[in-house]
Amino acid sequence: MPSGGVELLGIDCPCGRNDDLYGERLSTSYSEFGKILVERLWVSGGADRITYMAAALEFDGVSKQYNRWYSTRRVTALDALTLRVEPGEIFGFLGPNGAGKTTAIHLAMGFMRATTGQGRILGKPFGDAKTRSRIGFLAENVAFYYRPAEELVRFYGALNDVPRSSLARRSTEVLTAVGLLEYSRRNASKFSRGMLQRIGLAQALINDPELLLLDEPTSALDPLARVNVRELLTKMRNSGKTVFLSSHLLSEVELICDRVAVLNRGRLVRLGRTSDLLQTEQKLEITARGIPANGFPGSEVADGVVRFKIPSETQRAALEKVWQLGGEVLSVNPVRRSLEELFLQLTASSSSQAVNGGNE
Amino acid sequence: MRQVRLIAINFAREQRWPILVLMLWVVVLNLMGLFRNLQMSGEDVLFLFKQVAAYGLAFAVFFGASAIHNERKTRRILSVLSKSVGREQYIGGLLCGIVFALSIFCSAMALTGTWLLKPAGFPVAHVWFLMLCLMMACVLAAAVAVLFSTFLNPLFATLSAILVLALPAVAAMQFDSRLAGAIPVVALVELLIRASFSENWTPQWNLLLLGLLESGLCWLAASWVFGRRDIAVAVD
Repeated sequence: MPSGGVELLGIDCPCGRNDDLYGERLSTSYSEFGKILVERLWVSGGADRITYMAAALEFDGVSKQYNRWYSTRRVTALDALTLRVEPGEIFGFLGPNGAGKTTAIHLAMGFMRATTGQGRILGKPFGDAKTRSRIGFLAENVAFYYRPAEELVRFYGALNDVPRSSLARRSTEVLTAVGLLEYSRRNASKFSRGMLQRIGLAQALINDPELLLLDEPTSALDPLARVNVRELLTKMRNSGKTVFLSSHLLSEVELICDRVAVLNRGRLVRLGRTSDLLQTEQKLEITARGIPANGFPGSEVADGVVRFKIPSETQRAALEKVWQLGGEVLSVNPVRRSLEELFLQLTASSSSQAVNGGNE
Repeated sequence: MRQVRLIAINFAREQRWPILVLMLWVVVLNLMGLFRNLQMSGEDVLFLFKQVAAYGLAFAVFFGASAIHNERKTRRILSVLSKSVGREQYIGGLLCGIVFALSIFCSAMALTGTWLLKPAGFPVAHVWFLMLCLMMACVLAAAVAVLFSTFLNPLFATLSAILVLALPAVAAMQFDSRLAGAIPVVALVELLIRASFSENWTPQWNLLLLGLLESGLCWLAASWVFGRRDIAVAVD
């Protein structure tokens, strides 16, 4: 019961009554209350203050080592991962092949047991079967039984304790959401990889999960389907659900993820808000017209427009210089790097550290 | 319970071709029965009946030893275990699926036996009891095979299961005949194999109960082991 945090924020918890939260009337459950609270805090930039709420997913020094019975050599797939995914966010989980992303997800789902450390998912220890009825999961390289799509989705829904009375409605809803309603009677054996991935997403959504764990959910999708999935995930976030997204499609992660963790060789090498990570060391890009090309060091010219980068503390001086040269300032923007640039930088640097320092 | 039922039905559905092959033997036996008056005596029919019935045991071990492996190999196990399904429910579901598949076979065999052997003077109650023994032997054999398959590949699981199931019979031959009932698969099948028209039979419920109890223990042991195993799947 999050009473301490609620008092700290000056917000009364619902407790079955109608209460006022930022001017909104609440008369529903704690979870609804939580969703709105998280949303408000997020908007006000206070997500880091949400310490009283149970994390949607939490790794606490989790390590996983693989060993063979005939060998003494141990391979570390995950090395003391500590991570906290807050409710109501889309969390991007990045890393090169073999970084340990899938291992981390499989540990969270209870497919594996951690060698050391522990974790919690929706407040319960990893592997709790009952908790999984509140989770949606899509594995990388999905494989399903060969049967009609609707039947398949219903089967997984029933396994996840979705009431019999609502299975038909839910399966229609999720098949519509992933754009497969017209193929609902087609056997999954006749599906393309992209369609299978969409079926995978449908079965993950059938139980209306609080937490969605997706391992490469869009790798086989065409651009249009990717946009649809992106919209779907954003919609889920907006309704208070949590999405944990492992992907190699960095542009996609950059577009929708609130926070990002980068994993390399089993170690967490960066964690933070996407916007913060993409912000470079306080540089600005200025575009101007009517000034000589060599007016500023490192400037580029295209169609008479000069583009150059400066440290933000020299912004005033640079603008005055443009005007002194008789030019016109067209734009001033903070320089952002792409997630791809950051990813390459992080994975390359930690790989070279591992080579030099011996990461085994 | 819902999960166990769903996994069981799903298993039987996925194993429809092996079940069909098994049922084909029953059909063949029935077809042979149509012409029994021409060439076969009652003893011949009983011999064929026992032979076909024994195939059920082989299929039980096959189903048990390969069930988990097949699911892992196809990666389908992930989408099942990612749902609200406990490991013990999963193993229970597979076992129930095997029981379901074999109960179809044993029921068909019991009906066939009734049709073929009753006219030759074989007691109908004896036929049904023998099929119950066969069913129990199949369930226990499958449970032992599933237990081994939780930590061995199908080949070694099959070999280990055969070894363990045969061990009491070997021990009975070497030491004490009562040891045959320790893991009563061979003892139960022996009831079927030794059945004859001249036999004055009495039902041995103790073997059936022991088989049931040991099947339950195997399920518990398999759940315990499987619950501590990592579900490692092939990476494409």
